[in-house]
Amino acid sequence: MVFSDLFFLFVFIPAFILCYLLGSLIDRTLLNKDVRRTHQARNMALVVFSFIFYAWGEPVYVFLMLCCVLANYIIGLLIDHQEAHRKAALVVGLIVNIGILGVFKYANFFAETLQLTGLNISSPNIALPIGISFYTFQSISYLIDVYRKESPVQHRFIDLLLYISMFPQLIAGPIVRYGTIADNIHRRHASTSDIAYGIQRFLIGLGKKVILANQLSELSDLFLKNNLDSLSVAGSWMGIIAFTLQIYFDFSGYSDMAIGMGRCLGFKFNENFNHPYCCTSITDFWRRWHISLGSFFRDYLYIPLGGNRSHQALNILIVWFLTGMWHGASWNFIIWGLYFGLIVMVEKYTLLKIQKYIPNIFLHLYSMLLVIIGWGIFYFEDFSSMVTFFNALVGNTKELTDLLSETALFNYFWLWIAAIILSLPVFSGLSFLLTKCVPNTSFRIGIVTTAKVIFSIAVLVLSTALLVGATNNAFIYTRF
Amino acid sequence: MHRKSSLIYIILIAIVFVVIVIVFDTFPRTRLSQLEKRELASFPPFSWESLADGSFTGKVSSWFSDSEPFRDELMTLCMQIKHYIGITPTEDNIKFHAPEPEKPAPKPKKKARKPIDVSEDDHSETDENTLEENAKIANAGIIVVGKGDNVRALMAFGGSATGCTEYAEVANYYKQTFPHVNIYCMVIPTSIAYYCPEKVKRYTNPQLPTIRNVFAHLNPSVRPVNIYFILKKHKSEDIFLRTDHHWAPLGAYYAAQIFAKVAHVPFRNLSHYEQHVVHRYVGSMYGYSKDIALKNAPEDFVYYVPTKVKYTTTYTDYTLNNNYQIAGESKPKEGPFFYKYKDGNGGAYCTMMGGDTRLTQVRTSTRNHRRLIILKDSFGNMLPGYLFYSFEEIHVIDGRYFTQDIVQYVKEHHITDILFANNIFSAYGKSTCNKYRRFIKQPPADSTIVSPVTTSSDSSLITKSLNPETPLTPNRQ
Repeated sequence: MVFSDLFFLFVFIPAFILCYLLGSLIDRTLLNKDVRRTHQARNMALVVFSFIFYAWGEPVYVFLMLCCVLANYIIGLLIDHQEAHRKAALVVGLIVNIGILGVFKYANFFAETLQLTGLNISSPNIALPIGISFYTFQSISYLIDVYRKESPVQHRFIDLLLYISMFPQLIAGPIVRYGTIADNIHRRHASTSDIAYGIQRFLIGLGKKVILANQLSELSDLFLKNNLDSLSVAGSWMGIIAFTLQIYFDFSGYSDMAIGMGRCLGFKFNENFNHPYCCTSITDFWRRWHISLGSFFRDYLYIPLGGNRSHQALNILIVWFLTGMWHGASWNFIIWGLYFGLIVMVEKYTLLKIQKYIPNIFLHLYSMLLVIIGWGIFYFEDFSSMVTFFNALVGNTKELTDLLSETALFNYFWLWIAAIILSLPVFSGLSFLLTKCVPNTSFRIGIVTTAKVIFSIAVLVLSTALLVGATNNAFIYTRF
Repeated sequence: MHRKSSLIYIILIAIVFVVIVIVFDTFPRTRLSQLEKRELASFPPFSWESLADGSFTGKVSSWFSDSEPFRDELMTLCMQIKHYIGITPTEDNIKFHAPEPEKPAPKPKKKARKPIDVSEDDHSETDENTLEENAKIANAGIIVVGKGDNVRALMAFGGSATGCTEYAEVANYYKQTFPHVNIYCMVIPTSIAYYCPEKVKRYTNPQLPTIRNVFAHLNPSVRPVNIYFILKKHKSEDIFLRTDHHWAPLGAYYAAQIFAKVAHVPFRNLSHYEQHVVHRYVGSMYGYSKDIALKNAPEDFVYYVPTKVKYTTTYTDYTLNNNYQIAGESKPKEGPFFYKYKDGNGGAYCTMMGGDTRLTQVRTSTRNHRRLIILKDSFGNMLPGYLFYSFEEIHVIDGRYFTQDIVQYVKEHHITDILFANNIFSAYGKSTCNKYRRFIKQPPADSTIVSPVTTSSDSSLITKSLNPETPLTPNRQ
């Protein structure tokens, strides 16, 4: 199941709301004095519905996820309940989680890579369970935080299951640290403002995904999916810029929906995107893009490896190699990761030292050029297609422009405008302007509320209509 | 957010949300889409196997998303939204719509009652046919050109100048099988051959080389019927529908004229026909392309009914299971040849003979001992109506729906002429040709006789709620 699906929106969510509210009523009625059971009924509703959510798309691999949680639960207890073998238990835990990821995500990749070297190894053809990269990483972060004594161990299996499997962030993040929500498992309260914010955030995410990302995917497919030999220069740029916008709205939209739903439940997930296309360097870009993944690798890999204290360049390359590899079991993702790793390293000794002397517009252009080129590496898993594409990008192709690129400009005109504007912090800007123009607080609140209501209803109705017409609606990042 | 404003916000959004939930979850599901001209998904059957492999839950989601109440209205809104994300600065505006991704053939809901074995592997043939036809739709898919009332949808052709030889081979095979019957081969071009703007031509392949290639592979005893140039000559007239993938009845008139010449049979011009019009017709390309510009530019469906000839039409109707295999056939029953559709009805293309899933036999007052079989696809439906002055009998056999042994059939009905009349996409497909070959080999069917069906057959693709108003009374004297 995915969020941008009519069944999820109009069957799953209402059913969940009813059961969750019933659970809340039961919890309040029982008024359990045991602090670990104050949210028992509603947490059970959340766990059950998360199970249904995941099993809906993965009826067999849901048990893999359960086994993964069980293994982490036992190992977490082993780490916490004794001192002598804490590290050994952690290592076992890491092996289990990385092993699961390695087998189910990378076995085919390893086999195919070995085949390239001449070894006769058959590909195991193991299907990739949805969300495995996210829930294994959350499990790893839990074990390490318990090992470092930064978070308390979870003694109740059901509560650990809730943390790892809760449906708002199960299959496409953000990667939520256990410490962020540990207290909220048994002590959380969603105020009226939280619920309103959560609904609004969810609808913003839905609009980003359905209204923007899905239409941008039609645009990028027009140029990049087939017939690359006839790709013009303009077509290659149009296609990859469309993909640049598509992947942002697709992924950040999903994060918005996850954060919004979490907020409605009383969980405050950290932000995962901060207008990444406003970056002034690639270093800055990676502080704004998929923040939860970047901070995971920083805290659990880069710093333990030595960070900037010892062999920093090697540490950076290892982190970026694995960042690329996390995104997909294909060499282009690894190259993509190393591409950014090298740029980050070079920037550290060059651009970042003189950044303040360079006008922002040039920094933005420089950054966006490198980001867009990066997406070109990310998009094509087949190397010959990638080469053809980059040839077109640099002008080594038959035509500068063609009918397809000329018509795409007009046929998607407002989509281009909306996507570019909405990738900027436009709502903050509007809020600032409104504060300046309408000093009267209650009047301003009235305008803002009215605008939010109209905007939210419009997004809901338009998204529903577009979902009716959608044929292929998967999130890009669910394949991870 | 301020608490009071948050509460107002929550209540208003909740009201809208609850309304949508009530509509989607409690209102009757939509079963047929007039817009897309197809039956919508039904609730899948449950099995533990399908639950374990995820197909059951996937199909439940698909069913929910496919058959929602007010689907056509929401689809129209969807298309309006997609239309308004663009601007149309010039009259020669061009839009590309990629071909639909291939959907797997649906599994039958239940075992069909005593299905008639037309072939060993009809299920795969259905897939193969669709796949091949889609393959001949070039990657550019459907191209919508023009603006306002002149907008026209074109299906990009991906065939090559060396392809389509199988179509010629099957015509040769029929000549070999029926040495004393005149065999004719007609390839019907589509609208993109005539209305493609110059700058769009690189996205589609020309059709004339393919047509010539077919004729070049015909045995000398098989007569080619080349209608390409007469259609080109009349392209400024309404010979192709703008909003449908088919040609218009007027285009078929000119084709029939050429055929009559090749066949050396009499032919009457349009002054011997009465013109009828179905106004505000929007055809199949609207559903295929999902481009609202086509809905906003309906056209007149103009057809011609012969007035100075008597004729009776007999139908044998085929019923289909959910896999589009023949599951039963009716006893022959008389009916009208021309069906009348109301203005605005999207099924008006079925005016002639009411659809494809039937064997049609027309007996006319023409007395020249010439008896014709037309082996056709849906394009061929338009031809017979112009040949009542030309043949004593016309037997119209759809390549997808025929259960008899054609050798026996030809003998029994004293057939003198057989015309292959298929559009170039369909002619290109191997499965079309394989079906015609099988007509010769297939044994007489042990058919399940079911109640005579009307054009509102449950399994008919288009006609469920697109029933014609009244049949046009044939001219019987």
